[in-house]
Amino acid sequence: MIPLGFFIAISAVMFCIGIFGVLTRRNAIAVLMSIELILNAANINLVAFNKYLGTPDGLGQIFALFVIAIAAAASVVGLVLIIAIYRHGKSVFVDEYNLMKW
Amino acid sequence: MVKVAHLIPLFPFLAFAVNIFFGRRLREASALISIIACGISAVLSLVVFQGLQAGEGSYSLGTWLFLNGKPLNFGVTVDALSVMMLLVVTVVATLIKIYSVGYMHGDLRYSRYFAYISLFTASMLGLVLADNFVMLYIFWEGVGLCSYLLIAFWFERPAAAKAGLKAFITTRIGDTGLLIGILLLLFSTQTLYFSELKNIAGDDWILTLAAILIFMGAVGKSAQFPLHVWLPDAMEGPTAVSALIHAATMVAAGVYLVARTYALFILHPLCLEIVALIGGISALLAASIATVNNDIKRVLAYSTISQLGLMMLGLGVGGYAAGTFHLMTHAFFKALLFLCAGSVIHSVHTQDIQKMGGLLSKMKVTGATFIIGTLAIAGVPPLSGFWSKDEILTAAWHNGSPVLFWLAVATSFLTAFYMARLIFLVLFGKPRSEMHPSESPKTMTVPLIILAVFAVFAGFIGSPLMHHAFQEFINEGHGGEVVASGFVIGLSIAVSLAGIGLAYLFYVLNNKIVPSGIRAQFAWLHQLLLNKYYIDEIYDAVFVRPCMRFCDFLFKFDAVVVDGLVNGAGAAVRAVSQVLRWVQTGLVQNYLLVQVLGVILFVLTLLGKLCFRF
Amino acid sequence: MADIIFYIIALSTCLFAFLTVASRDVFHSAVWLSLTLLSVAAIYFYLDAQFLGVIQVLVYIGGIITLFIFAIKLTAKIGDKTIQQANEQALLSGLAAFVFFIILFKMIALHPWAELQPQAPVFSLEDIGKSMLTTYVLPFEFLSLLLLAAMVGAIVIGKVRK
Repeated sequence: MIPLGFFIAISAVMFCIGIFGVLTRRNAIAVLMSIELILNAANINLVAFNKYLGTPDGLGQIFALFVIAIAAAASVVGLVLIIAIYRHGKSVFVDEYNLMKW
Repeated sequence: MVKVAHLIPLFPFLAFAVNIFFGRRLREASALISIIACGISAVLSLVVFQGLQAGEGSYSLGTWLFLNGKPLNFGVTVDALSVMMLLVVTVVATLIKIYSVGYMHGDLRYSRYFAYISLFTASMLGLVLADNFVMLYIFWEGVGLCSYLLIAFWFERPAAAKAGLKAFITTRIGDTGLLIGILLLLFSTQTLYFSELKNIAGDDWILTLAAILIFMGAVGKSAQFPLHVWLPDAMEGPTAVSALIHAATMVAAGVYLVARTYALFILHPLCLEIVALIGGISALLAASIATVNNDIKRVLAYSTISQLGLMMLGLGVGGYAAGTFHLMTHAFFKALLFLCAGSVIHSVHTQDIQKMGGLLSKMKVTGATFIIGTLAIAGVPPLSGFWSKDEILTAAWHNGSPVLFWLAVATSFLTAFYMARLIFLVLFGKPRSEMHPSESPKTMTVPLIILAVFAVFAGFIGSPLMHHAFQEFINEGHGGEVVASGFVIGLSIAVSLAGIGLAYLFYVLNNKIVPSGIRAQFAWLHQLLLNKYYIDEIYDAVFVRPCMRFCDFLFKFDAVVVDGLVNGAGAAVRAVSQVLRWVQTGLVQNYLLVQVLGVILFVLTLLGKLCFRF
Repeated sequence: MADIIFYIIALSTCLFAFLTVASRDVFHSAVWLSLTLLSVAAIYFYLDAQFLGVIQVLVYIGGIITLFIFAIKLTAKIGDKTIQQANEQALLSGLAAFVFFIILFKMIALHPWAELQPQAPVFSLEDIGKSMLTTYVLPFEFLSLLLLAAMVGAIVIGKVRK
């Protein structure tokens, strides 16, 4: 059987790729996608640990379910925000919005 | 029926509250409220007097606070001294408020005036009734505040505003001494009650120092040398105020304070000597200045300083009853004199006596009462001033040194001289300038007549004719009745008549404003007196100007160094911010990158050893 | 055999994930993302979490990816390939991500994973459903509230103001 470390390694790879995406992609939608990658990396961890450490009521899986639901909610709000911003400024490129500067 | 005493200050205070908040709407009615409140207080004072005669005494309204674990009460002093002061203050205040109706008629801040003067009355009554130093100090500052407000009442005039400031600052010097004295007393005796002062024994140097510092407060308030400079300038206020505050009551608070804490002063002869000496110096100094001054109110102001000095002298030579007796009679005749002066000023619109003259025929009531007041203060028998001054002279003769006695005699002579000069120049002779005097309205003349009656008859209660009833009363049954010697009485009458006679010689027979021959002979003395011994100039050079220069320096220090530091700090922050500004890109991903780098650093610091074994 | 399947799934997950962030066209990214998520679902199946795998496919690929594609199409012109898709900090970001991965990898490698063996599932789908409505009912209810709030928020934000 595959050791737990492999799953965690996959998770780590996905996580780092996600971070890279968040940091580099100019398109806000792509940034959101990268966030989904990060969340999925975490979910893999949860499920794998659940399998290998064994919890009687499947806590890891329930946790993962919650994460999926929250991710769905987050991406919905995020996408709506992006669309609203797009309507306002005709652009979805993150580096064109520097309103946080004084 | 003594238990109504604490209501006495309450009514004027209510009048103050009503007038200050609703004065604009009340207008003329504010005077009525003020007078009625004061009248009620006067009646209550009589009730308390009755109660005191029936043997009742001080009481407490409950505990106020704890000092060193000992309770400090809202105490109300009801004894001979406080009841005497209550009667004097309420009667004089009521009469002066009635007078003010006419005097202040048409003033811009009419209701404000009555609010202030009611607050003053309340504070003064509170001061008199206080049974401990803390309450006394609070009301002491209260009367000081009202004095300031009323001196600077016509604050549009720079002189008035300046005079108010001068009065406030000068008395503050004394008040600081008073406060330190009170604290010293608390420190050394653990008590702040007047009634417990009697029980203090021994002449600890701290107690002596405390007494001298408390006397310093009295010096400031009663305008004694060397803190007397504020009182003549205080004449910038309305004349009715000068009469009430700066002649009859507030300035007497210093004398009252010494009388109230007399037990403390008796402990060490040095204290009494200082009181007597300061009083004597003030008396002679002020009296001599008054002989050449040409401002009708300032002459009276110097006269007030001089008379207060006499009271201090009386207290200082052991004449407790004499000092307080003079305090009472002085309150009446000095209030009368000031109100007469106010009536004159009201009529001729000038304060310069060189421009007056011959007013007696035009202003009969004012003139007559003015003459009565003058005779009273000059000490002509059998008017009130004669009896009380006589008491002081007797006390000085029996107990004091010859220096003090002759100081008092010289003061009496000068008093008679300058007061006679004043009325000769104002009321007699021919008018020396174009003026159209007319008698003042009834609201002003009626108080004059009443006060004149007091000025004539108030002295009898302390005279041998009534077996020294006042002295009996004020000493509460015991205490020596000083028998006046024939020499002292004779001398007293002689100097009074001599003073008046000399003035008659100078100003009526010669019919000149200033006797030129004598003036030429004593030019230097005349100049010295006219310039008030240059005391104001000396203070200006020694205290005021260095202080101002120091303030200028501080101002510049503030402008250059402090502001420089503050602005420099601001400028430095700005400069650094300009450099650091590029960090703030406003780009989310930049911030995120920094965050990630931070996390990496954090993890490396925590787990670096575990992972890489460096 | 099972091992080989795992390696294939693992490789494809990483590859698709990389393509998701690397492709110039956002629409392509969305497609790669859906494949990545599918691979993750496969991992779930491999780990005996069939229910979760199904949910993953339903919610993510059926729901969220669709939403992404809608959003991409609504913000139309950005699909243009001539537009630069990575910002100036790409190099530094890549380095940071790589260093972070090295640290993670080092720590994973340090641990003796062989000691842990997979356990037979002691719970069924029914158990998950029951515990969700009993033990974890409070977070469950909060989640429903959150979803409602997200829905309302999305409508409010997305509404075209006249």
